[in-house]
Amino acid sequence: MAACAEHGMASMALLDRDGVYGAPRFYQAAKKAGQQAHIGAELTSIHGWRYALLVATRQGYQNLCRMITRTKLRAAKGEGRITTADFEGMAAGLICLTGGEEGPLADALRIGGMPRGQACVRKLCALFGRENVYIELQRHFCREEEARNQAAIEIAREFNLPLVATNGTCYAFPHQREMQDVFTSLRHHRTLDTAGRLLALNSERHLKSPAEMARLFADCPEAIANTQALPSRLQFTLKDLGYEFPRYPVPEGSSEMQFLRERTFEGMIARYGADDPAARRQIERELALIEKLKLPGYFLIVWDIIRFCREHNILVQGRGSAANSAVCYALGITAVDPVKMKLLFERFLSEERGEWPDIDLDLPSGDQRERAIQYVYERYGQLGAAMTANVITYRGRSAAREIGKALAFDPETLDRLAKLVGNWEYRDANDTLERQFKNAGFDLRHPKIRKFLELCLQVQDLPRHLGQHSGGMVVCQGQLDSVVPLEPATMPNRVVVQWDKEDCADMGIVKIDLLGLGMMAVLEDSLKLIRNQYRQPIDLHSLPQDDPQIYQALQKADTVGMFQIESRAQMSCLPRLKPACFYDIVVQVAIIRPGPIVGKMVHPYLNRRQGREPAECLHPSLEAILSRTLGVPLFQEQLLSMAMIAAGFTGGEAEELRRAMGFKRSEQRMKEVEIKLRRGMEKKGIRGAAQDAIVQSITSFALYGFPESHAASFALIAYASAYLKCHYLAAFTAAMLNNYPLGFYSPATLVKDAQRHGLRVRPIDVTCSDWVCTLEDPPRPEAGGFCLRLGMRYVKGLREEIARQIVQERSLRAFRSINELKIRVPGVQKSELAALAEIGALNRLGDNPNFHRRDALWQIDRASRRAGPLLDEQEESQGAIATPEGDASFALKPMSTEARLVADFRHMGMTAGPHPLAYHRRELQKKGILSASDLQGVADGARVRVAGAVIARQRPGTAKGFVFLSLEDETGISNAIIAPRLFEESHLTIVHEGFLLIEGRLQNQENTLSVKAERVWPLAVTKAAPASHDFH
Amino acid sequence: MAFACIYIPDFMVQSLMRSEPALRDGPLAVIEGAPPLWNVVAANPVALRAGLKLGMTKAQAEEFGIPVRHRSESQEKATHAALLDAGWGASPRVEETREDTIVLDIAGLDSLFGSRNDIARELARRASHLGLIPQVAAASSIEAAIHAARGFAGITVIPDGEERKALSGLPIHVLSAGVETIEVLERWGVETLGGLANLPVLPLSERLGAEGVRLHQIASGSCTRSIVLASPSLHFEEEMELEDAVEELDPLSFLLGRLLDQLCARLAGRALALRALHLQFDLEPHFEREFRSLADDVRPREATVYGKVLTLPVPVRDAKLLLQLLRLQLQSDPPLASIRKISLSAEASAPRVTQNGLFAPQAPDPEKLELTLARLAKLVGQANAGSPEPLDTHRPGAFRMNRFAPSQVRPEKSAQNASGKIGTAKPMQGFRAIRPPVPITVDIRDEEPVRVYLRGKCGTVTAASGPWKTSGDWWQDSWQHSEWDVALDFGTRTALRGSEPRPDQGVYRIYNDGRQGRWFVRGTHD
Repeated sequence: MAACAEHGMASMALLDRDGVYGAPRFYQAAKKAGQQAHIGAELTSIHGWRYALLVATRQGYQNLCRMITRTKLRAAKGEGRITTADFEGMAAGLICLTGGEEGPLADALRIGGMPRGQACVRKLCALFGRENVYIELQRHFCREEEARNQAAIEIAREFNLPLVATNGTCYAFPHQREMQDVFTSLRHHRTLDTAGRLLALNSERHLKSPAEMARLFADCPEAIANTQALPSRLQFTLKDLGYEFPRYPVPEGSSEMQFLRERTFEGMIARYGADDPAARRQIERELALIEKLKLPGYFLIVWDIIRFCREHNILVQGRGSAANSAVCYALGITAVDPVKMKLLFERFLSEERGEWPDIDLDLPSGDQRERAIQYVYERYGQLGAAMTANVITYRGRSAAREIGKALAFDPETLDRLAKLVGNWEYRDANDTLERQFKNAGFDLRHPKIRKFLELCLQVQDLPRHLGQHSGGMVVCQGQLDSVVPLEPATMPNRVVVQWDKEDCADMGIVKIDLLGLGMMAVLEDSLKLIRNQYRQPIDLHSLPQDDPQIYQALQKADTVGMFQIESRAQMSCLPRLKPACFYDIVVQVAIIRPGPIVGKMVHPYLNRRQGREPAECLHPSLEAILSRTLGVPLFQEQLLSMAMIAAGFTGGEAEELRRAMGFKRSEQRMKEVEIKLRRGMEKKGIRGAAQDAIVQSITSFALYGFPESHAASFALIAYASAYLKCHYLAAFTAAMLNNYPLGFYSPATLVKDAQRHGLRVRPIDVTCSDWVCTLEDPPRPEAGGFCLRLGMRYVKGLREEIARQIVQERSLRAFRSINELKIRVPGVQKSELAALAEIGALNRLGDNPNFHRRDALWQIDRASRRAGPLLDEQEESQGAIATPEGDASFALKPMSTEARLVADFRHMGMTAGPHPLAYHRRELQKKGILSASDLQGVADGARVRVAGAVIARQRPGTAKGFVFLSLEDETGISNAIIAPRLFEESHLTIVHEGFLLIEGRLQNQENTLSVKAERVWPLAVTKAAPASHDFH
Repeated sequence: MAFACIYIPDFMVQSLMRSEPALRDGPLAVIEGAPPLWNVVAANPVALRAGLKLGMTKAQAEEFGIPVRHRSESQEKATHAALLDAGWGASPRVEETREDTIVLDIAGLDSLFGSRNDIARELARRASHLGLIPQVAAASSIEAAIHAARGFAGITVIPDGEERKALSGLPIHVLSAGVETIEVLERWGVETLGGLANLPVLPLSERLGAEGVRLHQIASGSCTRSIVLASPSLHFEEEMELEDAVEELDPLSFLLGRLLDQLCARLAGRALALRALHLQFDLEPHFEREFRSLADDVRPREATVYGKVLTLPVPVRDAKLLLQLLRLQLQSDPPLASIRKISLSAEASAPRVTQNGLFAPQAPDPEKLELTLARLAKLVGQANAGSPEPLDTHRPGAFRMNRFAPSQVRPEKSAQNASGKIGTAKPMQGFRAIRPPVPITVDIRDEEPVRVYLRGKCGTVTAASGPWKTSGDWWQDSWQHSEWDVALDFGTRTALRGSEPRPDQGVYRIYNDGRQGRWFVRGTHD
């Protein structure tokens, strides 16, 4: 649109193929540039050519959306085709152009010359009406096209139809044709070398100025005149979308508002008691605004979903700005008390903003969330509710992979090139692309590699495909398919709109986010286990508020597995922040974010907290806003309030600021906001350093900071996870392992951490393990606490249905031998049995107490070779009672400890036995290598040597090239900091070795321990390969 | 029964070292792959000790300061052939076990060389003469000899009956078995051949089948099998080192004729014919033609070598015909330096025995056709003779030249002819392409051509249609053409003395090559 504006064009039309995918962004961009955005679409007919349709009226838009929906929903994904019958009664409000080379006229002329072309135009006139058909001319300097144009002009004269000149524009500038060619070859699964004439003939499909077009069609001025006149017929814009939020059905005699009021006050009494004037005041204020904005229906619909979840025992919690609302709290949508926490309601809902409020619901990921989604579909009908889409753009690796494919790199080269891109968040001055390419074995002087890089940079952020948003749903009163076309999603029973979540919001379509949160599933599973095994029903809403055990754990940074506060960065902050109350957890969740880190707010806050510097405000006028965070702005709300007070922003301007902060890409918007801020502060007399500090605080949040309400919602979940970990370790660990992948650490680290906290973890055993991890009684009652039995889901390569068959068969009758297992679960493959045997899961099926993993392996190799049809029956009858052979005279050597470790990590990614380093502690001690727990007693600055399995490698963009390593040994986790130079020197060792020995000086900053590495060596203790969480 | 095995460890590396003896004592890495990515596929122990790992890229390997060479399959083949020669030099019964391994039946050789130990030493000496560092073992069974050679450095002689004991300490990796089988054995904790020999045979056969039994027998030293004698190959090669380098074609033809006679005689002796002939000249180095690929896509080749391949449509054994074909090839693309070594190698196959069908269409004699084609190629250049095939591209006139193959299908009569209504259809407009396009000068006014200077004549443009723009291949050899169809008027001309002057006019297709900024005529319309 910018190029369009440069050419001085007043309007433009976008005709997406079989949809209106780009319409909202096109509309927004046009609005910004002060241009008119016309909507249309190219609909693919069953014959392969495309109708080019422009929307003239709202009815036309609705017809277009419905037709697209109809064709999409009746076919497989991406295969919908339109028929002439589809236009019956649906052509009103649409203008049909005869199209370019893929249009109906071109196709007809190609097949049957003039007679067929005339017939085609006659048919179009019958479908759309003579006054709505235009004969389209395009000129791309192509002989065949020109011949077609001459035929089209002849037909237009014969039928007395208007000519229009268009350009079939695909890109703004000629050089972008390269990208179009790349996309063409990718779409056809070809390389550029083999795409041949599928590629563009030339680079003429770029945006051309009116003067250029007039010159091109100098012989046909009426076509230009008609093109200029056509927009006057296109009355419809997306402003006129006609979206309406559904009304909630209320009992007769009641209104939506009244019904909401009743539900809210019922909830208020439950939450605050009958006599809480502050809460009542707040709720009344909010209800008044909700009524004024005509939003009761929206709250009731969300409340209805919450009610459904509660009734079906689905854990649900609202997050985001909804946590600022006392009405949401009273309705049970959120769990944070905004009155007590003095949260800013305006952040959630304001009269000025003129947009729908945003309520995000966290649900347990998996089936439970799907149930909630299906409930919304059921309630509003398939054409009344849909998931929002997610525009997936080309980013780092995906871009590299696809561009490499088009350039015909072989798979290995492709793999290496893709790995190169986006490997590191941070790049220092020496970390040039040339160097990175050279390190990976490529030379940027190679023309293909250079073109690869050029195209990769060009393709960044361009849309790749339309995915389904993880949880955003839109609902509509009446038919959603007349607002935006719907498509079938890849997942069964789901439909998805053609617009991105943000685009829906921009178009004023209300959405409800039903987000799947792994930790919610962990909480739900933990509660189930506690209820069923411990026989102690607990309610997350009534957990003890200030449990000392939790705060002790947090202060020691003993937080592996706890929601949002377990990462290495969080752990390094916890001993300094020393959380002592719930609000401290809210701060902790919010402080380790790029916003506060880049804004240099972390250290001032920690220093003030420890009394090392005075809690001064940036400006006295901001005292009220910043006092609770010791004068340091940490939350989005504070920044908005700062802008309102210090720079006199209105609520609407503050909202603009918030939206600018929400998008990484809006640097331009932030600059505009900064000018406004400074101007506002000048007026209020805030100048110099104070002004700079305020601007710095606000703009740095563009790199993302948390709203307080969101942090509070997350802090609640963090507190709940901490509570469960501290008091119900077995249940919590089992639930964590059963919901993996989630969180920061690998299952191996979670298991080792739980073991260090006293949990007995039992290995996988086909005689008692389920598919998931389960709890078992302790060996002796006095041993106390449950044991955790690892589930078969951790056996790599074992199919779930096989594991479940094993469990089912076992419940009927215990297995007595491996052979019997093989006979009763015939689908089990040899590789699956081998994996089970290698990790010792078949040991208890042996015929003697000394039966070991290799004995099992010996037996499965026999069991997997069937005797053949003749002897199968005999074998089956014997198999149940006897092992296949009695060659007891010979014995395989049991696996060594090392072999067991290697097998455990290879097949499970973890071990239930001791940590690999535990076997080597004595020799490590002899070499002066300290364990993680030994470091506790070492003075700051002392030279130390530590060793461990690398469980995390981080190189955050905010850390100037430093690399942070987490090393795990049998006593805990130690941290090491690698300076950029050392990293450069020992790059291969640090990145590729699983176990490291690090020498350096210990830094002890208020009990946050880390070793500043001076030398790094690989540690050859085992061939077991633990997984590491790298560079995410 | 007695057998000896010669095994060349790190075969890829040793093959390269054989041709570059200077590399023998230091580290060396061998790389292979598709450009721009080359990986280390082999390295000698010195390089591995320096920290190099297989799978590293060329750039990473070079960081170790270790010499890196591209894998040379031809060197490996040559090394293998030399190894076989060494074997055949000692015993007529040789088995070509693997590229890096040969086995010799040494029964009866004691009278020539002495004890088994002496024989093994002699074999090691012969292999060392080839520039290789071999591992040699002798035993009473083939497999014991092979595995001992693979497992032990230097020379090993296993006394009869002690095979099991001698092999027991060897790791199971020396076994010639599939990766999966080795993995199974490792899973059982079987690390050595001794461990494998200790397993009970019957249960082992139930698990690993016949393969298990075979491996067990090898480990127990009881594996007996017959030697699989290497059959002489179908690859025939003749070479001639020249004392004085040859520059002229005639003396070269004389030498080539002699070599071809020898080759054909050898082929005749085996009742074979020649399917393809590989010609290679080693050239004088001071005439070295510099070869540098801009894209570095192609591995730098030895520029001192000149090679040609003569592929024949049917197997032949006619030395004269072959010589003629070679002469034509050499005349159209002569070597740029004098020749000091000639190599001719033949790919052989059974001679043509079929005869044409009674009703099959007459086709030219393949030998004659080949000769004619070679003559044509000499006249117009190799790249300009054959059957053209249009390419799938927008690039105007792009085609690929395939080997000429006369169509076996008789062209069908056109539908118009069949109906008998000749001349009723609208005649097709013809276009005569001019290859290569002729450069011209064009005067432009208002972005349109107004005058064209072609072969010394000036034509006025009386009508023009265009520009028709095409461009493509932007990712490699990009091109960009802007075409016009122009009607040109060159005035009048007189065809014959005394005849009436006639207007000299024509419709031409001209284009501007955007990359070169020059104009050309692509062709004329009839």
